[in-house]
Amino acid sequence: MTGPASIPEGRAETATTRRDCLKTAALAGAAFAAPTIVPARALGRDGAVAPSEKIVMAGVGLGPRGQFDLDWMSAEPDVRFVAIADVQKSRRDEVKAKIDKHNGDQDCKTYADFEEMLSTRPDIDAVLLATGDRWHSQAAIRIMRLGKDVYSEKPSSMTVAEGRAVVDAASRYGRVYQTGTQRLSEGPFRQIIELARQGKLGKIHTVRAHIAPWDSADLSHAWLPEEPLPPADELNWDAWLGGCPWRPYNSGYTKGGWRGHYDFHTSCIGEWGAHTFTQCQAGIDALDTSPVSYGYVKNATGDGMVTTFASGVKMVLQLQGWRGSCGMTFEGDEGSASCADGYEKPDVSSPALLAEGEKLLAEYMEKTGRPMNHVRNFFDCVKSREQTVANPEVMHRSMSAVHAANVCMWLRRDVQFDPVREEFVGDAEANRFLTRGQRAPWII
Amino acid sequence: MQPKSAVLAGAALLAASSSAMAQKASQSAGNRHVRNQAELLKVLQNADASRKDRADALRELARVGNKGCLKVVAPLLQDEEQADMARYAIEPIPSPAVDAALRRVVAKGTGRPLVGAIGSLGARRDVKAVPMLVKKLDDADAQVAIAAAKALGSIGGAEASRALAAALPKTTGFAQAAVVEGLFRAAESLADQKQTAAAASLYDALAKGAPLDCVKKVAAERAEALRKA
Repeated sequence: MTGPASIPEGRAETATTRRDCLKTAALAGAAFAAPTIVPARALGRDGAVAPSEKIVMAGVGLGPRGQFDLDWMSAEPDVRFVAIADVQKSRRDEVKAKIDKHNGDQDCKTYADFEEMLSTRPDIDAVLLATGDRWHSQAAIRIMRLGKDVYSEKPSSMTVAEGRAVVDAASRYGRVYQTGTQRLSEGPFRQIIELARQGKLGKIHTVRAHIAPWDSADLSHAWLPEEPLPPADELNWDAWLGGCPWRPYNSGYTKGGWRGHYDFHTSCIGEWGAHTFTQCQAGIDALDTSPVSYGYVKNATGDGMVTTFASGVKMVLQLQGWRGSCGMTFEGDEGSASCADGYEKPDVSSPALLAEGEKLLAEYMEKTGRPMNHVRNFFDCVKSREQTVANPEVMHRSMSAVHAANVCMWLRRDVQFDPVREEFVGDAEANRFLTRGQRAPWII
Repeated sequence: MQPKSAVLAGAALLAASSSAMAQKASQSAGNRHVRNQAELLKVLQNADASRKDRADALRELARVGNKGCLKVVAPLLQDEEQADMARYAIEPIPSPAVDAALRRVVAKGTGRPLVGAIGSLGARRDVKAVPMLVKKLDDADAQVAIAAAKALGSIGGAEASRALAAALPKTTGFAQAAVVEGLFRAAESLADQKQTAAAASLYDALAKGAPLDCVKKVAAERAEALRKA
């Protein structure tokens, strides 16, 4: 076999690796135990929460975004983080310091392997998952199989098949899952979702979804130049790659440089479409389906792609059209409404819609009991066992649209998608993209 | 919630300067000529081709390949370095010849190539693999046993279901968790085929013998629902 002169990681990961040995040892003796959530929110008169009433959390793969989520969640009075798992020691130590500082002790435990952590810690109820995209479904499924609830950052699947596997896992193990599409729980966004849903804009014919202005749909297959592999206790590169195809180590990947790579990323469409498709689909009550047709546009990003739902409503992908990020617009035959990050109030076609939106938001919160706080919705559901606002099906349907749009761009032609069969219609070439072979032993 | 969104945007913009961007121009998916199978096999047969060249060829075969690629790709299924990408290439190819090639790895292979081949047979729902996978349920390599349990569940059917139900009380830890997962898959498959009694009996086994209370609860509910249907 001819190849690079030195591929130590490739050699190390063959046959039985150290990680395999560790895992095998754990496999034999792991003490599986279900979490012990007290099924009621029990704040005392002073706002304090008894330790036995707290939701005990662990973090998995908390980089900058994950640590933001950690701060957000830690502010909830009935939440306590007790452990962190990460394949990078520097990250484990960084997050432990953050958790210990918040808790005022030194008790946060660190783990290199999240499955070992969860299988030996029956005290942990739920997990904040914020790895790179490649691990979101893979880890969420494993976390739920170990009996824990999960809040997963987005984009939450790499393929249509992975998304369906998340839905199946949540159902089989009776777990609560929330994907991090937090704008579903932000006032201005929810106001126009409800304006659209309640018919205040008339019959909706077009929705517009913002896609990210960096990278493209034209994902890279390049390998960054090989660098010496760090010591195994500093970084488990094999586990960092997980089920993705092997490639040589480069520190850039572990510092956010995985974005833009086909094996690790869902493109500019997934980066924001994970949010904005969900938002748009919420406004047209299409959270249980995906567009059925995707029209190829001759550019690198998908800007201007028109997708169409079976209802006839069109969802247009756009790079521009808003003053902030992750924007969405609803256009009906009686009015329109638009929102993006930074909007104190939505842009609406008629001033009366602003007051109407505030009223509908209040009614929505009253009727559903859902707060305008995405992580609070997750914690409430961990206790009530109800479905979250961004539950697995919601995630899977919007991510299926992301994947279908990407396939459209990769094939450079129109594609038709069947949301019931969850496959492209009469299109063997496109259906090759519904799943990806996974590297052993990370096969879900 | 505005600050959260601002942080998200900031983190993402930071990523925009990543080195991945610099690499994209020359090796992006869309800009590359889509090679046909003959061109890709020529790369794989070139002794001087790099690991990267081979990985790219195998990735592209996953998109355009047919059973004709097996004469070149099948031998790679037991190559420690190339087995995963070889499976990546052939797993989506709809031909019984692919299943046969994967079964040959299960018959002879060890380590990760074996684990991977078992996983691919499960993904492809190869019924002919059931007898050999049943034997792997108590393999000394825990990863092999885990892969076999999940694969048997994906394939489903009476023989696979019996083996999984029998394995549930004999296993512990992650191996047992894989059997639980396999039983869920097999039960769902039976239910889809309207074999409600058989499906309910698998759920009964889970309700009785699964290690997690959440599994017992769901399994009991599903068994009851099937019997009421």
